[in-house]
Amino acid sequence: MELLGYLVNALTPLNILMALGGVILGTVIGALPGLSATMAVAVLVPFTFTMDPATGLIALGAIYTGAIYGGAFAAILVNTPGTPSAIATTFDGFPMAKRGDGSLAVTLATLASVVGGLVGGVFLLLLSPPLAKVALAFGPPEYFWLAIFGLTLISALSVGNTIKGLLGGCIGLMLAMVGVAVVGGDIRFTMGTHMLLGGFDIVSALIGLYCIPVLIDLVATPDPHLKVEQGNRGIRLREAFGIAWESKFNVLRSSIIGTVIGVLPGAGGSIAGLVSYSEARRSSKKPETFGNGAPDGIIATESANNATVGGGFIPTLVLGIPGTPPDAVILGALLVQGIKIGPTLFSQQGDIVYTFIFGLLIATALMLPAGLLIGRYAYKSIASIPKTLLVPTIAFLTVVGSFAIHSNLHDVQMMLALGVIGWLLNRCGFAPSPIVLGLVLGQIAEQGFVQSYLIGNATHNLAGMFFGRPISLAIVALAAFTLLYPLVFSKRKENAKKRALDAARSYADSQGSTTVGDVEPVAKSGFAPLAGLKKQLAKPRDHAGMFLSVLLIGVAVWAFAETSAMTPMGSVFPSTISVAIIVMSLMLLGLNILRKPAGPEQGGDADNSSNARRVALVIAMVVWVAVIPMVGFGIAAILAFLILGRVACYEHMSAKRILGEAVGGLVIVGGLYLLMAEVLLIRMPTGALF
Amino acid sequence: MRKLAIAAAMAATLVSTQAFAEYPEKTINYIIPFNAGGESDVSARFQQPYLEELAGQSFVIQYMAGAGGAQAWSQLNGMEGDGYTIMGINLPHTILQPMEKDVGYETKDLTYINFFHYTPNALFVPKDSEFQSLGELVEYAKANPGLVTLSGSGSNSANHLGQVQFDELAGITTTYVPFSGTGPAVTAILGSQTTGGFNYVTSGVNNGDGMRMLAVASEQRVKAFPDVPTFKELGYNIVGGAFRGVAVPSSTPEPIREKISQLITDVNNNPEFQKKMEDAGFVLTDISYDFINDFVAAKSEEYREIAEKLGIANR
Repeated sequence: MELLGYLVNALTPLNILMALGGVILGTVIGALPGLSATMAVAVLVPFTFTMDPATGLIALGAIYTGAIYGGAFAAILVNTPGTPSAIATTFDGFPMAKRGDGSLAVTLATLASVVGGLVGGVFLLLLSPPLAKVALAFGPPEYFWLAIFGLTLISALSVGNTIKGLLGGCIGLMLAMVGVAVVGGDIRFTMGTHMLLGGFDIVSALIGLYCIPVLIDLVATPDPHLKVEQGNRGIRLREAFGIAWESKFNVLRSSIIGTVIGVLPGAGGSIAGLVSYSEARRSSKKPETFGNGAPDGIIATESANNATVGGGFIPTLVLGIPGTPPDAVILGALLVQGIKIGPTLFSQQGDIVYTFIFGLLIATALMLPAGLLIGRYAYKSIASIPKTLLVPTIAFLTVVGSFAIHSNLHDVQMMLALGVIGWLLNRCGFAPSPIVLGLVLGQIAEQGFVQSYLIGNATHNLAGMFFGRPISLAIVALAAFTLLYPLVFSKRKENAKKRALDAARSYADSQGSTTVGDVEPVAKSGFAPLAGLKKQLAKPRDHAGMFLSVLLIGVAVWAFAETSAMTPMGSVFPSTISVAIIVMSLMLLGLNILRKPAGPEQGGDADNSSNARRVALVIAMVVWVAVIPMVGFGIAAILAFLILGRVACYEHMSAKRILGEAVGGLVIVGGLYLLMAEVLLIRMPTGALF
Repeated sequence: MRKLAIAAAMAATLVSTQAFAEYPEKTINYIIPFNAGGESDVSARFQQPYLEELAGQSFVIQYMAGAGGAQAWSQLNGMEGDGYTIMGINLPHTILQPMEKDVGYETKDLTYINFFHYTPNALFVPKDSEFQSLGELVEYAKANPGLVTLSGSGSNSANHLGQVQFDELAGITTTYVPFSGTGPAVTAILGSQTTGGFNYVTSGVNNGDGMRMLAVASEQRVKAFPDVPTFKELGYNIVGGAFRGVAVPSSTPEPIREKISQLITDVNNNPEFQKKMEDAGFVLTDISYDFINDFVAAKSEEYREIAEKLGIANR
């Protein structure tokens, strides 16, 4: 009953206002790729010092949970995760939006996020001390196996294209190795530049790999970005409720996975989303729809990532170990306020903690109306905004977002380079998601492996370290199950494939390209060896793939040679990956040599898309990024805005419309500039002008 | 001669200070070269209200994380040297990084202003560890070379240096296990994944009763932990940890440099600020602008010796 008293404490008008304001601000920040929850929380910390501690915490928690939820908007509407937590939301969210179900996807994401957040919050309220023990039971081997488990998702994401998927994963893992190594301290693959010392930032890679290809293809055709729904069906709340209710087990399972993974410091929302996605796909009756716009994919990811918010607070408040980066900021704020963290916090300062937890729950519940409203507006504006405005706006967001991460133009350059490379790779059949998975999980896998090895070697118990710990074994079993599942149930898959074919056909009719869902439907899972091989060989020769294999072999040989100068700790992972790349590239090459040469009809895109415009967009963006240090951020953005608007223009525009859009561009650029420079206090580059 | 020089310098300062008497006249940007939430951020947050009160201007904390701080430090001298941009700076980072590799700046290129605190290294074991004292741990490590695993934040970091020194002075071999930050390194201790670990004293404050601090690498006992002996008391001459302070772009005029240093020293003298910092496990230092170059030079020598043992003194 004491708890209810705290609930009443949490219900003051000020607290509710903070919860609502926090959620709205967080959602907007989270929806803008590159602007993160950490940033928003850090900026607000000083303001909370003037508030009552519980109220301040509620504001910070609300922003945090709002930002994690907001990440879904960008994922669904522009195929770019707004935060890394929403990576798996792009898999099905964007295909749904493309086929005209954008508002349904947003509503589903909202429902799932609210339920996930509530589940995480209730665990935080009732089970914090025991769950904190989970964080401590997770040692290096568990993190290693968890990362490997996450990587098994690649095989599911690249059905029919397994070699390319695995190669993509290895490319991502290799990218994760670049920079100063945490374990060993080696400087790896920087080619002597300062720019690469910090490695590839995950957020800037996400923006590049997911968003730039969308932009490039957006200007290539006059078709609208998203298919507009027939008739105004509103937010489709009832329909979404129905779907979510049918998937209640998925919601619950994903929320619990999210909470538990949130408890683990160093895992976080992205891994929670990926693991729940993988589990949802495995236990689904229609796994083939995953990646082609399956509502269950969105539900799984979104409920899991919002559950990590509550889960992440558990080690933060109980142990003083931040579960996630925003938690670290909040922990610092508590420290500055003089609040002692630790197991005694719950008993001695229960009024603060429990009031805060109830406030977080209230904020999460408020996300439902607030999110539906913002989501409706976001969907409408993305779907109805003319391309001449949409293209420069998204382009501006990619530049702003990748810059904001570290107030550094290097990240923008890397974002753009990775984006163009990602587009080319996608054209050759390498989807971006395996690369991203490798990049996200590479560090965790490497650190877990090397730490386990060091400890196991020191205690003369290597085998026991990797294979003798119960939690590790459970994760290994799950990973094996996920991998072998398609093989064991191949019969069921065979039938499913037929359905997938139909689904994919209708999907292809509805205009789908360059998305994760772009797996070849006729292809066969690579697990039934002989039949699979035959099918593989029956495909026409893939010249781009062959060229890339040769290129990759070259890069991998160079990388392998580089590892000889590293410490054993720093070289074990990169050398293993380079060997894997060489072996798989040779397989791909061999496969293609055995194939028949491509027929003349295999010329690629005989469609009406304009490569000239694609090139123009890339050139415009490269020039844009290059001139920022010279002319300043603002002026470069406005000029680029006008030019990109022309690149994306397919119709004759009246003077009035041109003027209107120019003003619109000014407002967008100016607004975001102010948001970054004045609200988020990011250092903007200054040039000759502004 | 020396006295004369000091007098001359003081006179010069007096004159030139007049010209900048009004400083500061606008908001000062305080850049932290790490992510929010770390020790650098927290200590700057502690300073913020006091700095604002003394200077009568607001201090805006901005973050420029990347490459262990190197990304921000390598850009520092390119920023405007008008006194309205100051940057957090850390030792041993700014000594070890350029010693090991070309990171875009050199230790001597940076304009250090004032180191206002440090977080001493400390050796922790889990609460239910069999080791009650440092002596017991050393004995066990002697009998079982390599078997003792110690976690820490990163390779070639302050924590790592502490472990290397400890091994050498105690004549033992322990295994250092690097983690990706203070948080994960502490988690490994709390969960008994490693025998113990080197970490900053501040971690001991945060993590309550989960860990036992066996010894601390400071000159005197730390106020937040009066019962924990120093390494020196126990016969090991290990004093180390991370120093944190403020630097400015090299184009910043001398009088402004001194004013900033004075501001930071004044904040350090505020009893309320002292209490807050010490409760959180920070140890205040007063290495102001006049002494700072000698201090950095002395530390550089000290760290070079350890770096050579680690085999990372490449430059």
